[in-house]
Amino acid sequence: MSEVRLSCFDLSRHYERGPQTVRALDGVSLELREGEFLALVGSSGSGKSTLLNLVAGLDRPSKGDVEVKGRSLSDLNQRDLANYRARHTGMIFQSFNLIGHYSALENVALALAFTGTPHTQRAEQARAQLSELGLSDRVDHRPADLSGGEQQRVAIARALVTDPDLLFADEPTGNLDQDNSQQIVELLAGLCGKGRSVLMTTHDLELAGRYAHRILRLNYGRIEDERELPQNRRES
Amino acid sequence: MSFRDLMRMALGSLHRQKLRSSLTISGVVIAIGAFVAMLSFGAGNQRMIADQFDDLGLFTTMLVFPSATGDSLQLDEAAVDRLSEINGVRLAYPYDHFDVEVSWGDTTVSVGAQALPTAALQTKYYTNLKAGRLSDEGSGTILVTEELLDHLQVEDADSFIGQNIVVAVKSASFDSAVARLFSDPDGNLQDRFASMEMDSLWEDGYLEGILRQELNAGTKRFLDGYLNAQALTEESFEICGVIQGGGSRRNRILPVILPIETARRFDAAGPSADPMELVPRIMQGEIFSRSPLSGKSYSQVTLDLHQYASHRAVSDSVESMGFEAFSFASQFEEIRRVMLFFNMGLGLVGLVALVTAALGIANTMVMSILERRREIGILRSLGAQPRDIRSLFLVESGAIGALGSLGGILLGWLVARAASMVAKIIMRNQDVQEMELFATPLWLIGFAMAVGILVAVLAGSYPARRAARVDPVEALRQE
Ligand SMILES: Nc1ncnc2c1ncn2[C@@H]1O[C@H](COP(=O)(O)OP(=O)(O)O)[C@@H](O)[C@H]1O
Ligand SMILES: [Mg+2]
Repeated sequence: MSEVRLSCFDLSRHYERGPQTVRALDGVSLELREGEFLALVGSSGSGKSTLLNLVAGLDRPSKGDVEVKGRSLSDLNQRDLANYRARHTGMIFQSFNLIGHYSALENVALALAFTGTPHTQRAEQARAQLSELGLSDRVDHRPADLSGGEQQRVAIARALVTDPDLLFADEPTGNLDQDNSQQIVELLAGLCGKGRSVLMTTHDLELAGRYAHRILRLNYGRIEDERELPQNRRES
Repeated sequence: MSFRDLMRMALGSLHRQKLRSSLTISGVVIAIGAFVAMLSFGAGNQRMIADQFDDLGLFTTMLVFPSATGDSLQLDEAAVDRLSEINGVRLAYPYDHFDVEVSWGDTTVSVGAQALPTAALQTKYYTNLKAGRLSDEGSGTILVTEELLDHLQVEDADSFIGQNIVVAVKSASFDSAVARLFSDPDGNLQDRFASMEMDSLWEDGYLEGILRQELNAGTKRFLDGYLNAQALTEESFEICGVIQGGGSRRNRILPVILPIETARRFDAAGPSADPMELVPRIMQGEIFSRSPLSGKSYSQVTLDLHQYASHRAVSDSVESMGFEAFSFASQFEEIRRVMLFFNMGLGLVGLVALVTAALGIANTMVMSILERRREIGILRSLGAQPRDIRSLFLVESGAIGALGSLGGILLGWLVARAASMVAKIIMRNQDVQEMELFATPLWLIGFAMAVGILVAVLAGSYPARRAARVDPVEALRQE
């Protein structure tokens, strides 16, 4: 079996809501291996986004820990955590989260501002990444002038341009029609391997079942069920 | 994020919100404009006091005039002596002027001349020597101003040194006046005598009418002879020095500066042909005397003060003697007071505008945070640290400050120019030498720029801290 890239131990995230405590995530442990495509399913409010934000280093857990290649995220200061996000992770969102007044190219190039890439190389690299995803004739378009599927592919290009080893996709198909959803998930599945792992949340069980290597079901902040899909692993 | 990235993002964001940005920037423009104008005044004042005013000796010069009210005391030799004894007065000399004709080669020009003692020439007021040296009394040399060179169309002052000129003064001719009083050049006295009606001679007013008529005609003939058949007194000099002309309107330096000896000779030549001098001569019953007016009085006496003399004390003494004092320094103080009020007004405008501009910047930045929460979240997810976000907002408000300062410096400079023009008009009207009260040196521009940016960055620091605290998870959450 391949190497463990990321692991969570007893990961919890609680919100204090007056006298109540909302347990958005409640003691989750999991492992993500190199080249693995892991799908996280569960109904709305089950804690999928919360988990993703924690492993992406955007949020801090109330309890437990995230380890990336043996290093604990809770040991990192703001700067190192930002560096982790910039160089090791790529995030993809349901609502794309592109900057509306930037062109596709500028959106993608922006990610390179945080990896110390020289200005002169940014546009070039961004253009290459967009071409790779079949968007070479869309580089100067603003997000508003692109279809949902194209916007999501620009977002994926932005996530990939820094060549991260971890991709986190939070319901990437949530705002897309069926055809586009399929294309995007297929694309993500194809990105696995070559030292890159993908963690995707979705409530589309059918799509997850078709591409993911493994599916975890989250319910009320806890892992309820785990399913291996060895037929989706390429080497098998 | 590099500074270049921050700068590009900040300017881009300002550019997208053109109206809001320009309104915010306008606030800074007004504030910095008022500041620059104010500081320009301060800087100009300092510079001007330092060189110009002091250089011209205006701080150590006071003018004395006969009082304009009541039966005025004469500014005569005795008065000059008493004035020179006032504490703090180094030298008192009258403004003794003549209308002279200066001949140089084939050219003759009519100009004003004044008599000045050597000591007066050594005061600061006169020591702006352009060429040559100051004249020594009695050695046949003379000092002239650049104005005379203009009249004679001489370009180079140095080449004029050593040249010979003839200075001549016209005096009224007493002899021809008396002769004309009795001889009637029109020669029709006999006719008029013949045409007199002897029958009416004793009628009311007839003789009186004739008498009046004859007196009028006689006086006219006398004055014609007195004023127009003039005698010429002249003296030849070698030019020894050329000084800067000008002076203020009230204390103009006349083109030719006569040695005292020469002035005495000119005075002794007879009464001046100046009709204005007739009145005091008639009043003093000296119209027929040949000698100069015994109680010669002057229109003005100049006092040269010790460097640290109190202008107030001296002018009080002058006024207690029954004369009027005019001090350039106190005049200058008045202008400065007016300008100070102007300055305080600008300072107040600057302060209010600066506070308002700061509030405007803070408001703009807070609005910007609310609108750009998602962008902040995206930047954070891509790898921005909280401090990057803070820097972004600080750079943005700093850019507002910088742009506003640039505009403000331009505005302030224009205001300073306009105020300087107004001040010069006041000076001209108040009869003070025109001076530049405003200066906008480079350090001032740099300082204004720094203040503008600093205030803007301070105003942006609270919004920037808030922006840095925006929770990326919240900001990125599905709306
Ligand atoms: N800031 C918050 N304060 C309180 N409750 C929160 C906060 N963020 C998320 N939650 C709660 O945590 C739970 C999990 O949310 P989330 O991870 O977004 O679910 P999912 O992505 O699976 O739909 C939800 O019940 C949500 O209401
Ligand atoms: Mg979610």
